[in-house]
Amino acid sequence: MRKAPLLLILPAALVLLAFLVVPYLNIVLMSLRVPGSGVPYAPGWTLGNYAKFFSDRFYLEQLANTLWIGVATTLACLLVGYPVAVQLARGTGAMRGLRYGIVLAPLLVGIVIRSYGWTILLGNNGVINRTLLGWGLIEGPLPLMYNGLGIIIALTHVLLPFMILPIMGAVQGIDPQLELAARSLGAGRNTAFRRVVLPMSLPGVQSGCTLVFILAISAYVTPALIGGLRVKTAAVSVVDALIDGFQWPFGSAMALILAVVGGLCVVGFQRATRIGWAVRR
Amino acid sequence: MTEVALRNLTKRFGSIAAVDGASLSIGHGEFVSLLGPSGCGKTTTLKLIAGFEQADGGEILFDGQDVAGLPAERRDIGLVFQNYALFPHMTVAGNLAFGLEMRKRPKVEITRKVAEVLEMVQLQGLGGRYPRELSGGQQQRVALARALVIEPRILLLDEPLANLDARLRDEMRLFIRNLQRRVGITTIYVTHDQAEALTMSDRVVVMFGGRVAQVGEPEDIYDRPASRAVAEFVGRVNVIAAEVTAATAEGCRVSCPLGEFTLPRPGRPGERIELALRPEAVVLSAGGPAVIEEAAYSGGLIDYRVRLGETVIDVQGFPAPRFSVGDAVSFDVPWARLWPLG
Repeated sequence: MRKAPLLLILPAALVLLAFLVVPYLNIVLMSLRVPGSGVPYAPGWTLGNYAKFFSDRFYLEQLANTLWIGVATTLACLLVGYPVAVQLARGTGAMRGLRYGIVLAPLLVGIVIRSYGWTILLGNNGVINRTLLGWGLIEGPLPLMYNGLGIIIALTHVLLPFMILPIMGAVQGIDPQLELAARSLGAGRNTAFRRVVLPMSLPGVQSGCTLVFILAISAYVTPALIGGLRVKTAAVSVVDALIDGFQWPFGSAMALILAVVGGLCVVGFQRATRIGWAVRR
Repeated sequence: MTEVALRNLTKRFGSIAAVDGASLSIGHGEFVSLLGPSGCGKTTTLKLIAGFEQADGGEILFDGQDVAGLPAERRDIGLVFQNYALFPHMTVAGNLAFGLEMRKRPKVEITRKVAEVLEMVQLQGLGGRYPRELSGGQQQRVALARALVIEPRILLLDEPLANLDARLRDEMRLFIRNLQRRVGITTIYVTHDQAEALTMSDRVVVMFGGRVAQVGEPEDIYDRPASRAVAEFVGRVNVIAAEVTAATAEGCRVSCPLGEFTLPRPGRPGERIELALRPEAVVLSAGGPAVIEEAAYSGGLIDYRVRLGETVIDVQGFPAPRFSVGDAVSFDVPWARLWPLG
């Protein structure tokens, strides 16, 4: 009987081994190679790729900026998504299906097309700036593209479902009788929400924030299109180094640093927001 | 302590009247059960009293004052839910303190009252636990304590024992009743379990289809049911067809398959009536015209099915004397226990 569950995870384990663990090990090895010219790498081993990253302010600032974009996107998704998630979880009626569809809609369109859509809206000559200029509300175009703000706006749109769905799940799991219990004990509707629904939805908030943060700092297409050449996130730089620069060892080192820093952020966040009552027996 | 009165209370969901003109008064400190099958309107009545639903018609009065304008949080009601509805993200002490915090009581007082109420429900020392760390019976007592610690005007209980196993249920019945007597709080108890309603209540309100079918002390409900529906819902019953043969000075003469007797109640000759006879009212003795058709042993009692000519009645007896299927038996008809169903 003990063997059956192990056999069941075997296919998934093989896929992970072949397509995640092996490539990751390859990246680790590559990051320790000596850079070559004209060839992917020269013979020998070195820590120089890591030294290059940590000794260059440009890369460190870029990493910090990437993390900041991740945090800002996560906060924006949380602010916009939380009310929607509660509404979806508690709402009823025919419109609920439609609202659910609207939430999922961003996932149904390819990420490249979605990001191009944002360039049409955010550009200097884009819909938003044209409209505001036309109304005479601004004198010159607002800088909405080729900066962090544009990336945050577009990423918020792209990643919003990953915030809404876990929170919605958590709120759906809250027994509506708990709110009635709170009210019978003297709490008004708002207090009942604040003291019962809000704290009980935090596990969903935690999952949503983790998902959105990870996806935001590792996003490539959206920052590449919105940021252009002017603002580059760490993920964009990694691809530049690997594809354009042909710097495989350094690109691998950058990719690993991004992965480790992102992982540490998540671990730190989970530790800091540990939810005691939700821990299972 | 509070008096509660319902006057012609009505609540409709779409075209269905969940509560259909229910009237009732409940005295200071009285323990009243709302008893009925699911869908009879008892839970809706409770929600109307608690303020979670608004009535479409009629009044709810607490000490003579209409509470229609008061939202649930200002009705000062202690409520115990079937699934307890304890806050899973708060400790036991946090759950108990919640209502007092809403009332903005000083911290010192809250701490003292929480300790007192924990002692009252015999859960001293468990204040720091989370609800999921408690057994079903303990959770039940926390729910009770949480409802009582705010010293509400009225205590409402919605099928609070339905999720407990049989042994614990019997224990909790006594526990709740004793606690209620000690606190002296006006209590409305919703249940579909007739045994619960009969053992715990000062008075029982039987509801069918959103209407009050009968209100009375447990003995009234059981021995003198107002209708066949009440008789059949509250325990097992034999319903015997009968006919009035003559009107007499004391009442009327009635003829039924078990014989003829005088019913102390007026009736006109030719009127067809139904008589209720509880299975345990009949005592069997060996030998006679009747035959045991079925016998089911259930521990302390035995359920027989007895045939007398064309009539079959259910009889409940003690293990001694014991009869088997096919035995010839006789019984004296307990004429005083034949109750005419209105």
